[in-house]
Amino acid sequence: MSKMNLSTRMILVLTLITVLSGGILAGWDTITKPKIAFHRQEALKAAIGDVLPAHDTYMSEETEFGTIYIATRDSSEQPVGIAFMAVGSGFQGELRIMVGLSPDMTQLTGIKVLEQIETPGLGTKIVVDPSNKQDPYWFPAQFKGVHVSPELVVVKNAKPTHTNEVQGITGATISSKAVTDILNKQIADIKTAWTSRGGPES
Amino acid sequence: MSSSLSLKAEFVKGIWKENPVMASLLGLCPTLAVTNAANNGLAMGLATTFVLLSSSLMISALRNFIPHQVRIAGYIVIIATFVTVADRFLAAYFPSISASLGPYIPLIVVNCLILGRQEAFSSKNGIGRSLLDSLGMGIGFILVLVVLGIIREILGSGSIFGMAVLGDWFTPWMVMILPPGAFLTLGILIALANWYNDPSRSKERRAVS
Amino acid sequence: MSYFLIFFSAAIVNNFVLSYFLGICPFVGVSKRVSSAVSMGMAVTFVMLITAVVTWLIYHLILVPFDIVILQYVSFILVIASLVQLVEMFIRKVSKSLYDTLGIFLPLITTNCAILGLALFSVLRDYSFMESVVFGLGAGAGFTLALVIMAGIREELELAPVPKYFQGAAITMIVAGGLALAFMGFAGMI
Repeated sequence: MSKMNLSTRMILVLTLITVLSGGILAGWDTITKPKIAFHRQEALKAAIGDVLPAHDTYMSEETEFGTIYIATRDSSEQPVGIAFMAVGSGFQGELRIMVGLSPDMTQLTGIKVLEQIETPGLGTKIVVDPSNKQDPYWFPAQFKGVHVSPELVVVKNAKPTHTNEVQGITGATISSKAVTDILNKQIADIKTAWTSRGGPES
Repeated sequence: MSSSLSLKAEFVKGIWKENPVMASLLGLCPTLAVTNAANNGLAMGLATTFVLLSSSLMISALRNFIPHQVRIAGYIVIIATFVTVADRFLAAYFPSISASLGPYIPLIVVNCLILGRQEAFSSKNGIGRSLLDSLGMGIGFILVLVVLGIIREILGSGSIFGMAVLGDWFTPWMVMILPPGAFLTLGILIALANWYNDPSRSKERRAVS
Repeated sequence: MSYFLIFFSAAIVNNFVLSYFLGICPFVGVSKRVSSAVSMGMAVTFVMLITAVVTWLIYHLILVPFDIVILQYVSFILVIASLVQLVEMFIRKVSKSLYDTLGIFLPLITTNCAILGLALFSVLRDYSFMESVVFGLGAGAGFTLALVIMAGIREELELAPVPKYFQGAAITMIVAGGLALAFMGFAGMI
């Protein structure tokens, strides 16, 4: 070692460490990659399953407004619903919501907030409301069957009376409104994409 | 250049006397960020300990080969490699933990605790001693994270490790699981540790007993 | 999100230090004097800006096309460490006075989690090139803001009758808790 020039030794050792690191990581990558991809696929499948009516399979399609997932059942061509991921600003940061729509795009079949950093105990009720023991999922659940036209509206401190209304969360009006705002905007986009594609196959 | 402490002392010192968080204020970023629940604190502590142990093993084994001038570059490559291993392991086998810790797992790379131990200990001591030192420090780190996580989870969500322990009468103190709760709880814990370690107090205690 | 929102969110609403706990070590260590806090903040903002540019390019032009995303952490931290060295050498060559102000803080920046955090969050949120740059500026501004406010408070604290066991790190944490609480008031502004 001592005979070797210092800078040669520095380069040699660093190269060795880097090669070793690259080797370990390359091996580890081949082991874990398929598992991680599988979990991602499962999570997507579960989210789509939560927001759409029962279906056998779905196919994804790229549009100018992002990917849409078209679900079918009983080997029929007729879609039972269309899902897509809506993204936008919530109270404190980004919300990512999986949205399910009926094939004619007039009604929601369900929504699920997948990512959020809203205020715990208030805004997080858009996902689950532990203070409501009978029905902790009342907020997302009420979107099922709601009409999207002319647009979704949040009503405060009252039961919804129209087919396009949902009840807001007390103390988290902004989070509730953020959800409907994101949906209103992006459902309009998806509708455009869907019609330009040739419309519902009916 | 080996340290003069006995092997047992080498291991024990990290748990309380030289506890990385309480005594040296190292690794505060994960300590504060992921302790909103005991589970997260435990997972973070284990991941950090894994990285600490494997980096120490590697670096103490290579300590005579790495030239002094490029040691830090070498250390961070080794540390970042093991962090990637831990990160992918969690993503592949425990996807929900991986999701809830998010970018704080890769941030173990810059946890000063790990680089600090390599620089101060593993680069100067043999493999056995370095592993003991790292294990002690790792356990000390896990303990702080879990204690902090338990306190914040009980007060902030009324549960421990996800199991509800306080009844319906309890209104959770939301602030405890939010960032301010992290700072406040750690501040109070450090003050308690100062009180416990105070030499004048322990003299009184001895005088009384 | 628009550029303004990204900047405002990183600097104020989701302040890097007070709500993501990134860069806590210098926050506790360096925030004793307002003047050094300003210098440290400037040094960090500068490095953040360069990091945002370089890590974005590495991720999108090397790691993703060659399918070696697994090397993300190793390459990011190496790049940050070398960047800090380069910046230090550059500043020393160009301006003596600037080096005297920022110089001593630069070596500390490598292990500042705010820098790596910036690179990681930018990838995680799928930011475009311009968005990452704005994010870097916002995060730097947020870091500086938190550090300077903290330093101001700590200068006052030296005169305050802090209980014995709370002196030092404990009171710093508790003050930071109060600050974090205050910053939560900005939620909802984005």
